[in-house]
Parts: sequence; structure tokens; C-alpha cells
Amino acid sequence: MSISRVTYRATSDTALRGLQQALTRSQQLQQQLSSGKRVSRPADDPSAVGSAMQLRSDRRADDQYLRNIQDASGRLGVTDTALTEISDRVRRVRDLLVQAGNGGINPEGLAAISSEITSIRGDVVDLYNTRWLDRPVFGGTAPGFMAVDSSGTYVGNDAVIMARISRDATLRIDTSGTAAGAGTLPALLDQIANDVTTNTGAVGSDLTALDGELSKVLQTLGDVGARAARLDTTKNDVQSEQMDFTSRISENEDVDLPATIMNLQASQVAYQSALGAAAKVLQVSLIDFLR
Amino acid sequence: MTGFSALNTAAQGLAAAQRAMDVISQNVANANTPGYSRQRVKLAALGETSGATLFTGAGAPLYGVKVEAITRTRDAFLEAARTAAGNRLAALQSRASALHAAEQLVSEPGENGIQAVIDDFFASWHDLATRPGDTSAGAVVIQRGIAVGDQLRFVAEGLAARFSTMRDTLSSVVTEANEVAKSLADLNGQIRQSTVAGQTANELMDTRDQLVRRLGELVGGVAQASDDGTVSVSVGGLVLVAGVSAQQFDVTGSQELGAALTDPPTISWNGTAVPVDSGQAAGLLAALRTDLPDLNTQLNGVATSLRDVVNGVHTAGFTLSGAPGGDFFSGADADSLTVAVTSPDQLAVASSTGVVDGSNAMQIGDLSDERNATAALGGPGPSERWRDLSTGMGVTVQSLERAINVQDGVVSTADSAVESDAGVNLDEEMTGMLLYQRAYQASARVITTMDEMLDTLVNRTGLIGR
Repeated sequence: MSISRVTYRATSDTALRGLQQALTRSQQLQQQLSSGKRVSRPADDPSAVGSAMQLRSDRRADDQYLRNIQDASGRLGVTDTALTEISDRVRRVRDLLVQAGNGGINPEGLAAISSEITSIRGDVVDLYNTRWLDRPVFGGTAPGFMAVDSSGTYVGNDAVIMARISRDATLRIDTSGTAAGAGTLPALLDQIANDVTTNTGAVGSDLTALDGELSKVLQTLGDVGARAARLDTTKNDVQSEQMDFTSRISENEDVDLPATIMNLQASQVAYQSALGAAAKVLQVSLIDFLR
Repeated sequence: MTGFSALNTAAQGLAAAQRAMDVISQNVANANTPGYSRQRVKLAALGETSGATLFTGAGAPLYGVKVEAITRTRDAFLEAARTAAGNRLAALQSRASALHAAEQLVSEPGENGIQAVIDDFFASWHDLATRPGDTSAGAVVIQRGIAVGDQLRFVAEGLAARFSTMRDTLSSVVTEANEVAKSLADLNGQIRQSTVAGQTANELMDTRDQLVRRLGELVGGVAQASDDGTVSVSVGGLVLVAGVSAQQFDVTGSQELGAALTDPPTISWNGTAVPVDSGQAAGLLAALRTDLPDLNTQLNGVATSLRDVVNGVHTAGFTLSGAPGGDFFSGADADSLTVAVTSPDQLAVASSTGVVDGSNAMQIGDLSDERNATAALGGPGPSERWRDLSTGMGVTVQSLERAINVQDGVVSTADSAVESDAGVNLDEEMTGMLLYQRAYQASARVITTMDEMLDTLVNRTGLIGR
């Protein structure tokens, strides 16, 4: 400073200012350390706050995608179980049909086979009416709780239901009832139960038709399995993306602990020096040296 | 030279030393008085030649000392620089305080801000999409919608409350400025009287400088000194105080944030707007005319874009009972945004009639993705607008805080320049005390010496024959 004249008031003002500055700096660092956050308001670092908001929003979106995935995988799991059960039942019917076609079974035996097939048909209709969260998984978007009614008629539709499983991907989470044989299998089983007792000659063509239905069920099962696998892959992707977001949020706004502690230490030393200087500089005046 | 005139000279020396000690004691007493300027006695030697007298003969000089003036040390340029720096700092600080309050309302980044509420709202639509007929999922959607409206209203009301507080502050700042202007004009009159009467008005001038500074802090006045010792102060080119007369300013314009853009708050004189560019009033005007209305406009943009983007998809869908979807949100701005849907069965979750379908709900949920919202609106969506508001405000506050830091340094430099020039240095005063004490002692010694000389003359001469 080029001004040669110095007054006590100027000196004490300067000392006070230095103390205030050192204390303010310490307080800022202490606040950062105690909150663990480098940015706690937009003005701390506007661009970091912009990315913080974006990253948090993306992470919350991923939370929702994971919830959607969980729902979809539950739904596909139920579908998978139902289709596996149906295929087991169809195989059993096929065995019975082959048995009936071999001949040498008395009418009582054929009647027993027929009634077993009729009861299996009831099981199959129930399985086609499998529900997830009160909606039939083979029913598409049709209203009501049934995909197949008690007479064996398909009452669902084949509308596609999609779920958002990641930012860019959707996945079909329902299963077409028609493709899975819901429209044809119950009627065929009715016919087979009938043919076993009344029209043994039709067993051959029934067998062919049954094989056709079985392959429909198995094909749908394969499709469901493939979708479940895709769901798993996407789930892993979304989870790792979420971890990435979390670590980027932390990098973006959390304090660098060692650096902040060092800075705090330095600012406290500065504050102590300022205190020391203030105490010394105002101690003496000419009065102390005059008689 | 005569012994009698030396006595007189010494007496003047005593008086001068006494006056000097008076001034020193005044300086010491006011060493810490704010705005006090140190004073100095200005001494002048007398050396007039007198006429002839019986004892001196012709042309003998008349010695002595006189106190010519008691002067006040204050540099007008330094003072003007300090005032200008202080005015600018006051403007920055009052503007920053308005934005700090707004920044607290925003409460970003965090898990409780508007961003989080909007995200949760869209997420609830995805939940509904997987359970289209579930009334509890529908109720959650409605509640989350209400929460978004509440949060936006909270911020909007906070901004409005801040606006009216600052509007009141502006009125009281201008009222105080008017009072200060009046006092300044009165003081100008007293100073002029003293100056004309040849008296010193140093203390009055110090008080006046303080008032000029205060006026500058309030409305950013610029002072100009006249020859008769008075100052005139002009604000934005308009003379507020001239000599002994003072003008009065008014505040006009909206009391409500909503009308601030059409009827901005203004400081005026006789119906003419005064362009106040520094001082607290300037900062308040910037906040009231620009910052707060802009934030409010941006906030309304968040609310209306959310309303439009959600309603656009919602009205295109159908409820599960087959009715076409109505508006989900209603309201014209952030303050009035509410959910128009009252029960979950009015939610348009399906894309077509007669089916149990959640695809329309999924489309609304998908709006959380910036790209979908932008495509639907043909412009930025609610989340993006909210982020722009938050970061834009952050940038403004940050630059204001930096400017305040810089300006604070400028003010303290200007302050110490003024203080170095006009402040009291106790060491200096002690030295002065020594100086005048010795001078007083010496003058007294002169009188003693003269007395002894006269004693010799009066009592010891002419003793012959006694």
C-alpha cells in the first residue's frame, strides 16, 4: 500500500477483516465436512448441481425400471409354470390316447381313460386361467378374469401388453392365448374324451392334432423362457447402470475427505495466525514509552 | 524591542499551545468515532511592524503567533471513491439476499426437491401401467400428482412472499432516503451559516459526510461540493439535495409478484422514473423487476409444461369404463396447478375402449424420459425446465457472490485510504502533545525570565544612597 500514514483504527479494521475471512473459510469447510457434501445449494457449483439433478433423476428412473422388471419377471414366471404344467398334462393325455388306440382295452377301461381326460381338460382350462395381479396371463387386455370360459371357449384377446424395462427397451409381458393353444386345446380334449369311448377309429387323427397342440405349448414355453432370459440380462444392465449413477453422484457432489481435512487444518492455522497477529499488533503505543 | 512586547508574545504562545491541546484532546476523544476526521490547528507567526513608540523607536516589529484556522483533514476524492464503492456493494448485497431466499425454496440438489416429486409422479404411472385396474395404484398416481402441485405452489408462494417483503423494504429504503435528504439539506443550511460567520463547522461537516454516505448506500447518490461549504447530491442524474432544499422520491408499481412484469416497481419523482443504478434500492429494484419475476415465469413454465404434456397423453386415452380421458391437471400456473381427476376410475390408463390395458399409463410414465417429453411438447419438458431454473439461479447467485467478494475488497481498500488520510493516529497525537507541552513550558519560561529581568530593573536599580 502506498499510503504512508497508518492509524490504529485502520490497523484494527484490517485485523478484524483478516479474522473474519479466516473464520468464514473455516466455517465453510466445516460445513462441507459435517454434511459430507461439496455442493449443498445451486450457487456452490451450478454445473455440478445440474448434473446432480440429472443423475438423481436417471437413478430414480432406473429404480422404476427395476420395479417394472420385477413385475414382468413375476408374470413371466407364472406363465412359464402354467405352460409347463399344461405340457405335462398334454403328455399324459397323449399316453392315455396311445393306450386307448392299442386296442385290447375293455369298454370300462376306455370309460376310465375318457373320464381321466375330461378331468385333465378341467385342469388345463384352470391353467389357462392362471392370473397375475388379478389379470389372466393368457387373456390379453380383454375385460374379465378369464381367458377360457367353462365351456372351453377362448374369451381373451391377443392384444400385446408391453412393459418399460429400460430407458430404450420395452418387453412383451403377456402371452398370446391363441398361440399357446388356449382357443383349441380344451375343445380337442373334449373331442378326444368323446372319441375314446365312441369313435376309436379317430384316435390316429386325434394323436396328430394333439401333437400339434403340444408343439404350440412348447413353442410358447420357449418364447417365454427367451423373454425371461432377456429380462435377466436387462436387469443386470440396469443394476450396473444404477451403480454407475450412484458413484457418479458421489463423485459429483461428495467432499474429497482428505483434501477437505487438509484445507480445514490449513485454514485453522491461518485463523490462529490472524488471532496472534491481532493480539500483538495492537498491544503497544507511544504511551508505553513516555514517562 | 521592549520587555513588555515580549511578555505579550509569550502570552500568545501560551494561548496557541492551549488551543492546540484543545484540538489534540478532541482528536484523541474521537479516535474511534465513526466518520470523524482529524483536525489540525493552523498557526501563523505575526511579524507586523508597529509605529514609533517612546522606547522602541521607529519601525520596531510586533511579534506573536495566532491560530489562523482549525482545519479538517478529509480528501473529497477519497471520500467519493469510498462512497461509490460502498453504493455498489450495497446494491449487490441487497440483490443477493433476494436470490438467497429463492435458492432455499428450490432446495436442490436433494431427495426432497421438485425434481424428485416429478420423478415419483411419473414412476407411479408405470406402476399403474402394470396394474391397470388396481384402484390403489390409481390413488397413488392421484396423490403424487397432488404432491407435485403442492410443491410447486410452495415455491410459488415463497417467491411471492419474498417479493412483497422486498417491495416493503424498497418503500422503507426510499422513505429513509427522503428523511436523510431532508436532514442533509438542513445541515447544509447550518454549515453555510457557520461558514459565513467565519466559524469552524468541522463536526457538522463530518456528520454531513456520514449522511451523504448513508444516502449513497440507500439510493446511490453522488455528492458534489459547492464553494459555500454545502454539498448537492444527485441520484440517477436527478438532483435530490441542492443547497438547503431536498426533493422527495416515491415508490410506484405492483405490490404483487403476479403483476410485477406488467407494472414493475419503480422509484419516481413527480411521476418521472428515476434510474437508480447503485445503492440498496438498485439491488432491490433488480430483484423486484427482473430476478423474482423471471423465476416466477420459469416456475410457471414448469407447471404448464407438466400440465400440457400429461394432459396431452391423458386426453388421448380412455378410462377402463371406456370413457375418453379428461384433463389430468388443471390450473394456469405454478400457484394453481391441481389434479382435476378425483377418483382412480377417471384415469385414462388404456389406449382403446373395452379392454383392460395400461399402455396409455405407460406412455405417461415414459414422459419421465426427457426425450419423450420434448417430443410431445416440441420444447423442453418440466424436469428440464426445472433444472434450467435451478442451475440458472445458481449461476446468478454465484456470480453475485463473486462480485460481492471483489467489491468488498474494493470497499475495504477505499475505507483504509480514507481512514489513513482522515483517521486519528494516537502516536501522532502523543507527539503533538509533547510538542505543545514543551512550547507551553517554554512560553511560560519566557514570562518568568522577563519577570526576573523586570525585577532587576524595578527592584535592584537605583539603590545607591539607600
